[in-house]
This record gives sequence, C-alpha cells and structure tokens, in this order.
Amino acid sequence: MMQVWGAECIPSPSTKTRSGRAVLEKDPETTGSLGIAISEAVEDAASHPNTNYSLGSVLNHVCIHQSITGLESREQMAQVDDYPDIVIGCVGGGSNFAGISSPFAGDKLTGKHPDVEIIGAEPASCPTLTRGLYTYDFGDVAGLTPLLKMFTLGHDFVPPSIHAGGLRYHGDSPIVSRLVHDGVIRAVSYHQSEVFDAGQIFARTEGIIIAPETSHAVRAAIDEAIKCRQTGEAKSILFNCSGHGHFDMSAYDAFYAGQLVDYEYPEQLIRDSLSRLPKIGQ
Amino acid sequence: MKRIGFLVNPVAGMGGTVGLKGTDDLYDEAVKRGANPGSWRRALATISRIQDCGFHFVTCSGLMGEDILVKAGIPGYDVVYRAPDRSFSSDTRAACQRFLEAGVEMILFCGGDGTARDLFDVVLGKIPILGIPAGVKMYSSVFAVSPGAAADVMKSLSPACGVSPKRIPIRETEVVDVDEEAYRHGELKTRLYGFAKSPYLPGLVQSTKQVFEERDEERAKEAISRFLAEVVRGTPEILYILGPGTTTGSIAQQCGIKKTLLGFDAMKECRLVGTDLNEKDMLGLLDREEKVRLVVSIIGAQGSVLGRGTQQVSPAVLKRIGVDNIIIIATPHKLQETPVLFFDTGDPDLDGSFGDFVSVISGYRVAQRKPVARNRT
Repeated sequence: MMQVWGAECIPSPSTKTRSGRAVLEKDPETTGSLGIAISEAVEDAASHPNTNYSLGSVLNHVCIHQSITGLESREQMAQVDDYPDIVIGCVGGGSNFAGISSPFAGDKLTGKHPDVEIIGAEPASCPTLTRGLYTYDFGDVAGLTPLLKMFTLGHDFVPPSIHAGGLRYHGDSPIVSRLVHDGVIRAVSYHQSEVFDAGQIFARTEGIIIAPETSHAVRAAIDEAIKCRQTGEAKSILFNCSGHGHFDMSAYDAFYAGQLVDYEYPEQLIRDSLSRLPKIGQ
Repeated sequence: MKRIGFLVNPVAGMGGTVGLKGTDDLYDEAVKRGANPGSWRRALATISRIQDCGFHFVTCSGLMGEDILVKAGIPGYDVVYRAPDRSFSSDTRAACQRFLEAGVEMILFCGGDGTARDLFDVVLGKIPILGIPAGVKMYSSVFAVSPGAAADVMKSLSPACGVSPKRIPIRETEVVDVDEEAYRHGELKTRLYGFAKSPYLPGLVQSTKQVFEERDEERAKEAISRFLAEVVRGTPEILYILGPGTTTGSIAQQCGIKKTLLGFDAMKECRLVGTDLNEKDMLGLLDREEKVRLVVSIIGAQGSVLGRGTQQVSPAVLKRIGVDNIIIIATPHKLQETPVLFFDTGDPDLDGSFGDFVSVISGYRVAQRKPVARNRT
C-alpha cells in the first residue's frame, strides 16, 4: 500500500543505516523490531538536513493525540447514559492504549470515577508492563533517543516474532508506565494462541475479523465478561477495537494449522543476565 | 492379539544411573560403580496395569520375565526359555527365537536400544514388537513413551480390558542406536539398524530421535548458549549441571569450557567443577552447594525431557534441585517437530509436578511454552 501511494518501502533492519547494519552483522536472520526501526529512522533523520523524525508511539505528544479515542468513547457512552466499569486496550508502545484509557484514568485520579478499572493487555512474549523493570532506558535499540523512565525489558531486547507485530516493543509510554507503577492501571499478558482464540470468537460473534494486536484487548474483555458471568455482576466493559485483521490472514492460517508458537519471557533468567541498562539514578 | 511374548532385559538402564552411556558391554563397570537392576520395576508398572486384559504370556524364567508376571499376579503363562543368573544379549536373541516357535503374535519387551536391536535380529518384521522404556539410550521408535503408555497401547489391543478396542495401526518403525564410533569422536549421530513392526498410538509411542543439523540450528544454538552463558556469569553463586547434548555443550563452550557430549558436567562461575557425573556425584555436589540449577535439552521429535539417557539425574537428585531450578532448552526447529514434551523420571508424582506446560528456552532471552503429556507414567 505504501508503494501504491508512491513511497519506497525498505524493511528494517536495512543496510542503509549504521544501526541497521550493526544489527544485521550481529544476526543476519533477525526478525527486527519497533526498537530497531526507530533507531534507523532517528539516524536517517539526523543525517539528512531535510528530514525530521517524530516518534509515532510511546511519547506524550502521541498519547495526547490518541486520547481523542477515549474522549469520544466517553461521550458516546454518556449518550446512552452509561459509564464503563472496565476500560481495556492492547499495549505495545502504549499510545493506542493511552488513547482509549487516559481520559478514564483522569476521571479515576480526580475522583470523578474512582472505581473504574483500566486494563492493558500485552503479549506474554513481550511483557513490558507485567514483567519489565521500571527504570530509565532508551526508546530504541541503538540508544539514540533520550532516556525515558518507563517499564522496559532492556533496549537491546528483540521480542520474538509474534503475529501481533505492533506490540513488539521493549519499552512503554512513560505516562502509561507511571500509571501502572502507581496502580491506576492493571496490566495482563496473554499467549498468542489464546488471543487468536479470542479473535475467532469475536469474528464468529460480531462478524468482524480483528487484528492480532486487537485480539489481546478482546481476550481481556472476554475474560472480564466471563468473570461477571461467574459472579453474577453486571458491568459495562469498554474496549478499543483498534484494527481489522484483513492484513493478517497468514496469521489466521497459522492459527488454524496449529502452527502458532506460544512464546514466553523467561523473566528470572533474564534478570540474572541483565546488566546492560544504563546505570543512572532512578 | 492374545498370545504375547514378554521379555525383560534385567540389566537395562543400569549404566545410566552411574554415568555410563549404555550397559550391555559395561555391566561389570556399572556394578562396580554401585548400579542396581531396576528395569523390572518399569516392566512391572506396565504388566500390573494389563493383568485383566486376557493376554496369555509366553516368557523367560526369573528376572527376564516370570518374576515380574508373578509379582503382578498374572495367572497362567508359559516359560519357554530358562534364563541364566546373568543374562547377555545372546539370551535375548535365544528367547525371542523360542517365542516365535511358541507362536506368539507380538513381543512386549523391557529394555533399551540394545535390547531392541537383539529382538530385531531374530524377529525382523515377522511380528510386531513394543518396548517398555528402561534403557540408557532409547532412540528407536519401537518404544512407548513410558511404562504407563505401553500399558495403554496394550489395553487398546485387547477387547477384554474394559475399554473399547481400537483399530491400532501396525506401522513400520525404525530401530536405531547411537553410532558408537561417531560418539567416540565426540559426535552424536543415530544410525538406522532396521525396520521393525510396532503398534502405534499417536502420543503414546515415541518418534525416532532426530539430529537436526541445519544452519539455522547452529544459529539458534548460539543464541541459546549466549543467553545462558550470560545467566551463568550473572549468577556466580549458583552451580550449574549441564546435561547431555550439543546445545548444552555450546553453553559450556561460550563459557570457555569443553563438556562431555553425553555426560552431565557441573560448572560454577564458568569453571568446570566435575565431568560425567553419576547420581552419587550429583548428590555430593548438592550436599555442598546452596543453589543448583540443571540445564537439559529435549530429545528431538520424541519430546523426552528427563528419563531418556538421563538416568543419572534420579528422582532423588531432581527433588533436591527443585523443579523451578530445571532449565529446559531446545532450538525452535526441534520444538516445531516436537508437539508435546514428556517426563518419565520413574517417579510419577515428580513427573506430575512439572504441570501442564513448561517453558523452554529457545533463543536469546526467548522461551516457548510447550504442553506436557499427562498420565503416562
């Protein structure tokens, strides 16, 4: 599609940047990641006077831009005289999630709706919010961005190649990270097979084939609905159906062929081995 | 099928607990190192579950069969071969010849790859054979994945067992063994010995061990070993026992150590503490060390994590180490070919303590969740 509209599309990591070449030299078969692509983009912008780069996720300006989703959702719920008991989104770098959740997080913090539960759903293979360290780290693999205080799995962590590629990021939005750290937001993680199972349920129930990233949020929404059924509670659950899955048919093919791999993050062993984060004050 | 030949290799597996790579030619050394016969227990675990299946057993005297049938309370059987006090592979072959002459329809045997080869020499493809795993090496696909699974396969062959008899396919299966010559040169290779016939139930009968040699495999091994070498360096207070295989060997190599190919070696702070450890050696290390981690790789395609070629790490050793301190490693390709893992340590409770899923390190800081086969012990 990018080529259709005239762009030249270069897969990352590429041989066109120093950081891309460094990654390829280390692992010619690397699956790449958002963190690697960011390094290449920042380097390209820094080396061309006519190019600027604006990080498309993670940072505050992106989260603020995305918050229109949450603001509009809140208005739409008000039109039917409702307010969500639970707000759910999928989390990678955090901007989509901040978009749906930040207006409700504001309501929770100001005491307007102190009981609203906000849940971020992330992959078990890249469990930044559920297993990461809350500390300063770079936003990219090469260490070209400013240091950010966030939950991180280490800037050199290359997440496994799950089909929810949009969630393969080692860090997370500083805003979202702080809210998780302070207990305003709760994070959960899921394996690939269980999120595709949720995607299938959703498609057969609602007629919409959703993206693997979105399936994380749907998995969490289904789980919360099942809890309600078990306890007999009636709750309004708002979740962000952030994208369709029409570009992800090969992933659904793999799901039906039983070829999905449930990747995991070996937390304790990684903590034992981790000594690469920049050592600065917390 | 009603008339079943039943044979136990009494010395099978003895070498494993004392760190030998087989038993057939090393019986005296195994005894010298303190090994005791244990295959009869695994044979009994199968036989005691099929005592009501209406099979008529044709067997050998003593520990080669009859003693186990008596212990299991099997009524009525024929002894067609008088076994000496200490049996050899020639006894296995002679007994199989008598079984064929007595008109058995199938042979259920308990042993390892050596026993399977002896059976195959006589039986060839004339009747099916099924192995109860008890040896040090069991890379042939004539073996059930555990004594319990062998009983399940046998039950499926009998309408008298209270379960609906299934149509069990009899398939051609590979009889293999480790290439001893290659092994002496530090290379793990399985060689095809012949094709036997064996009853097959998916998930209950094991696949032949595969040795993957692709370029991707080497890269994956490098990634796993680089990660675990970092873990070893980051935890100088922990003693690491590395199990057999080339992937574990690669971890040692990253730490600057050369480990034995099929043995269990121990290291701490990237220093070699012991090689080719047997059960006693490991228990001694566990007495001295505060925290010990065990690193083992899975057997490709078969899915065995513990219990095949790893008898040195006995249930006693594993319990002392603790399930949480066992690190399982495997390359993605190997995992792709291995849908389900299984544990067959000889202690069903211990096998069950690994849960329904285990995490397997499959790359640099990456693990895969794999299902564990249940109720097979």
